[in-house]
Amino acid sequence: MWIYEKTLQYPVKIRKPDPAMAKLIITQLGGPDGQLGASMRYLNQRFSMPYREVVGMLTDIGTEELAHMEMIGAIVTQLTRNLSVEEIKKSGFDAYFTDHTAGVYPVSAAGVPFDVKYIGVKGDAIADLNEDLAADAAHVQEQPSQGHAVRPSGCFP
Amino acid sequence: MNEQQKLMRSIQIQNFILQETALFLDSHPYCRQALRYYQKHRRMREELVEMYEARYGQLTIYGGTASGSWHWVTEPFPWEV
Repeated sequence: MWIYEKTLQYPVKIRKPDPAMAKLIITQLGGPDGQLGASMRYLNQRFSMPYREVVGMLTDIGTEELAHMEMIGAIVTQLTRNLSVEEIKKSGFDAYFTDHTAGVYPVSAAGVPFDVKYIGVKGDAIADLNEDLAADAAHVQEQPSQGHAVRPSGCFP
Repeated sequence: MNEQQKLMRSIQIQNFILQETALFLDSHPYCRQALRYYQKHRRMREELVEMYEARYGQLTIYGGTASGSWHWVTEPFPWEV
């Protein structure tokens, strides 16, 4: 059972639209190292985890990843508000816009829809925990590369 | 920041403290210091949430609601700022 709390985990308030940045950031939602995969990975691994401490941790982290998904959705929405046709074309957001308009659809930066093959659940504590370590390392590696790509506009210092 | 935003920020801070403390307690379920810390901040959060819901409407569908309307939908969602 989950209970929604009507707050963002961290406030998101973006005034200046930037569809080119939205195209990159959306991979944090539906990309191979995104939050959707992270939450599904942790929440589904719980059932076969033999240690209750780890079940607790997977539950709490998996839940937190859902809150991260919401923040990415908020960021993408705010980055793509009130766009003109020219802005959509010029920014390279036109391909995404053709399929989804400014709706938030979980895809990677390259436009590949979310795939559950990004995650692993083996029902073996060692295999699953190693999957989690690898996923976390991939996520940590992705953030600086993305930070570098989006920094010029000044939104992510 | 207006009063509502300030109160919301205080709740978000308490949420963050409780979230991180919960993760610590998951692997240290008998740590008395952490349990005390958790209880202290749980009470602080409870007071803030009660105050917020009475003034600005519910934060969860189980929360108290300010009277007049179903604030769940008549008040903005958190990304609408």
